[in-house]
Amino acid sequence: MTAFVHPALLWGLGLIAAPILIHLINLWRHRRVRWAAMDFLLESRKKNQRWVLLRQLLLLAARIAAVALVVLMLAQPLVAPRMGAWLGSARTHHVVLLDDSYSMSDRWAETSGFARAREVIARIAEQAAGRGGSQTLTLLRFSRAGKLADGRAADLLSVPLDAGLAGRLRELLASIAPSETAAGPAMALETAGRLLADGPQENRVLYVVSDFRANEWREPGDVRDALAAWQGAQAQIQFVQCVPSLHDNLGIVSLAPQAGTRAAGVPFFIEVAVQNFGRQVARDIAVLLQEDGHARPSLVIDEIAAGAVEARRVLVNFPTAGDHVVTASLENDVVAADNVRHALVTLPLGVGVLVVDGDELSRDGRFLSLALAPGGNVRTGVEPRLETPQFLADSPLDPFAVIYVMNAAQLEPRAVAALEKFAKAGGGVAFFVGPQSDAKAINEQLYRDGQGLFPAPLGTETPLFVDRLERTPDLQVTDHPIFRVFAGERNSFLQTVVIDRYFGLREREDTVLPAETKVLAKLRNGAPLALERKFGAGRVVAFLTTAGPAWNNWGRNPSYVVAMLELQSYLAPAAAADGERQVGAPLVLPIDRARYSADVKFTVPGVDGDTLVAAAANAAGGGQSATLVETPRAGIYEAQLHTTDGQNQVRRFALNVVPAEGNLALVDGRQLKAALPDVPFEFHRADDRVWSAPNLAGFNLSSSLLWLLVVLLVGEQLLAYAASYHPASSGGAR
Amino acid sequence: MASISSDKRFLHPAALARISRLELRARHVVEGFLSGMHQSPYHGQSVEFAVHREYTPGDDLRHVDWKVWAKQDRFYVKQFEEETNLRLALLVDVSASMQYGSGPLTKYEYACTLAVSLAHLALRQQDAVGCLAFDEAVRVKTPLSARHNHLETIIHALAASNPAQKTSLTEILEQAGDAYPRRGMMVLISDLLADRQGLMKGLRDLRQRGHDVLVLHILDDDELDFPFTGPTRFEGLETQQTLTCNPRALRDGYLAALGEFLGEVRRGCASNMIDYALVRTSQPLDAALAAFLSNRLGMHHRNHP
Repeated sequence: MTAFVHPALLWGLGLIAAPILIHLINLWRHRRVRWAAMDFLLESRKKNQRWVLLRQLLLLAARIAAVALVVLMLAQPLVAPRMGAWLGSARTHHVVLLDDSYSMSDRWAETSGFARAREVIARIAEQAAGRGGSQTLTLLRFSRAGKLADGRAADLLSVPLDAGLAGRLRELLASIAPSETAAGPAMALETAGRLLADGPQENRVLYVVSDFRANEWREPGDVRDALAAWQGAQAQIQFVQCVPSLHDNLGIVSLAPQAGTRAAGVPFFIEVAVQNFGRQVARDIAVLLQEDGHARPSLVIDEIAAGAVEARRVLVNFPTAGDHVVTASLENDVVAADNVRHALVTLPLGVGVLVVDGDELSRDGRFLSLALAPGGNVRTGVEPRLETPQFLADSPLDPFAVIYVMNAAQLEPRAVAALEKFAKAGGGVAFFVGPQSDAKAINEQLYRDGQGLFPAPLGTETPLFVDRLERTPDLQVTDHPIFRVFAGERNSFLQTVVIDRYFGLREREDTVLPAETKVLAKLRNGAPLALERKFGAGRVVAFLTTAGPAWNNWGRNPSYVVAMLELQSYLAPAAAADGERQVGAPLVLPIDRARYSADVKFTVPGVDGDTLVAAAANAAGGGQSATLVETPRAGIYEAQLHTTDGQNQVRRFALNVVPAEGNLALVDGRQLKAALPDVPFEFHRADDRVWSAPNLAGFNLSSSLLWLLVVLLVGEQLLAYAASYHPASSGGAR
Repeated sequence: MASISSDKRFLHPAALARISRLELRARHVVEGFLSGMHQSPYHGQSVEFAVHREYTPGDDLRHVDWKVWAKQDRFYVKQFEEETNLRLALLVDVSASMQYGSGPLTKYEYACTLAVSLAHLALRQQDAVGCLAFDEAVRVKTPLSARHNHLETIIHALAASNPAQKTSLTEILEQAGDAYPRRGMMVLISDLLADRQGLMKGLRDLRQRGHDVLVLHILDDDELDFPFTGPTRFEGLETQQTLTCNPRALRDGYLAALGEFLGEVRRGCASNMIDYALVRTSQPLDAALAAFLSNRLGMHHRNHP
């Protein structure tokens, strides 16, 4: 059975009367000539009459056929390719995989990639329905493919395809919007294959309706494997590209708080990075910033080169403790999803810091505490607590972010173990030496041939023998976050620091330091003064002089306070603990069942700032965690926990889109062919007029008809030429 | 005045001025009645010495060449070539088919102009001119005359009206032979669209009567090139037949048939020593005439060096 994509156009076949009418009109609309040499004319006619008539009839037939072919070509006849379809026995299953990653929301000229995709799918269904026979349709979105394992259904699964469904499908498609995920095709291909694995014997046509972005399709390793499985199942593979060309797009690719002390009322830096995914330089980009929903002065980036990322640091300040949201957004462009990024910052009232001083009077400790928390109107967010070394052994160290140990003679083994555990878990430790410090004890307890946390073995306490008349600064710093703030100053206060005494390194290591140890600052004689090493997840810094002004005058120098605050920022556990959560990934919340009930309620950001209360989360893993499977939108998610004593607690999470999806570079059919060399597929563009939606398990004859038409028209011209209907160049009897 | 101007419509002074230097010379001997510039069958008084002949009794003693008698003691008679004037008969076709014309002149007008120009030329050189206008029959006939005002008579004779079709040229040519019985020059000006056998027979008869026969074949450009396009209905000028066709489709056949006809006429004329020229009505009249006459003159000199 031959079907037509546009059967209504068949009325156009009436146009074949046109050549006949033109012929008749020509017969009637002739010129009259009174002619003398009739004999020759009559003779010519007698000779040629039969040929002329034959050629005229052939010409007429050719023109009628040409008109009919044009009409047929536009109506686009389809013929079933397989014997099964001819016999009417086989079923045809149309499997439509719809890309609903946020790059599909690419907008241009009153339409968008997703609108095109809806149109394509509706067309596929309508034309398939129009063909009759046994046909079924499966529709699966990329973003849902991964979730099907969790017992969710595809939008449509093996639904019989008839005219009713084709109508309902439009409504269904209208209700579907692109998600903000970056779901790729591989999972969808695999899932759909699995869903249909034990289906009946049928012809399958796989449509991948997507935008075919380069970042997914240029190196489609996993896609290739998934397609190979489909290919093995004898499915016909159709790719439909819904986006015609690359549109310029800007996206915020990161919004991250910078390292530093974070506490209520303490300003800190947050870095926002904008990438230009377009092909042209973008200028005057305004980045709107909001702190907890309150707009603050926007940031303007002058210029971003094509493909480049520009990052800017912004100082933000929240006066209160708790969860705060920083939102950066760009002005609207073709893809909206990547124009917004949220960062969730949890601020404590203060950062607990433990200062352990071996001296009874704690002179050094007080000095440092004062530098870290001067009091008065100045808020640093640091809350130092001065204790004796015994505290390390006896008390839990969890509440502290950083521990400063100074002038300590000998530590208890328990204290050393607790310190090492603290540092390994990510805490920062700083050591200062002093008159009470025992090099031997430090080397044996804390250094332990590089096994401990102390960066280097110590030698003896030494005065700094230098010519004071020489105007060389005692303290020479390297380019390190702690000292970077002084970089570029011509007459830094650091230059006036005088160091009298210090601990030299042990003879052997004087020249060769352990591999993991870095020198942060040196004395003018070249001896290291500040050393650093990583220990587990934490950082350890050792200053080989006193924290207070016993061996030096640094404590009286204004640079001391700055350097100590920078040291505090540097040692405090990194902000990476906040984590980057992505849209689409399930939100897993571990629950301590001793304190909380398994009943967790999630609040999910909805469209246009609304919030939705999600269905009760599935407490999996024996109730040890709650999981929110559906996270289709970027924004702040809230989880309400109920403590066993009847109180409510709220945890917040910032979910952001995957920035790479904002890269709108496309692959074309040729590149796709190169990327998938072994997969036989047909590549179409949604706006390709010649491509009538699907080949519906059938061959569309229009291109063949086009060739036939070309041949016919050439033949018609030759025939018309032969029939002397074209003006002759010259000639005549002489 | 109007009648005069209509009388003069076949006279083109410019064309006449341009051909005035030409001569109309008989190619064969013609029997004139006055002394003129054409070769005569008679020997008579002339400055052109022809031949010596032995005296026979009865010869005029005036022509005995006494110098030869003095030398040889024999009587020889000097014979001279007699030169006479020409009798030019113009046979002009004024039938319906001659009414066709795509340019400024119809074939009829062109033919008449040509005839009048020739007549003018002949009268200017003292030759006698007669004219015979015909279609299906002889319509007007003027006698041979060398008078200068005879030109007007010819013009009147050509201004025929109500042309009819011509059937066979045999009778017409026969009647022309009868009308101008003495050997002279016969110029047939026609499109020759008639019975071909009759045409050739008539021409052959005229030659056999001793006439110097010229054929000026007048055809229009359209008839020679057939440039028509688009659906056309052809209606016969001389017949009632009509033909609706696409002319392009028939063009090759038409041109072949026409070519065959022209070839036949050309061959027939050549084999009968008849001068033939195909004249397009688009050709300037004087140029056509000049080319034709100078060509003839060349042949004349070749024949009589």
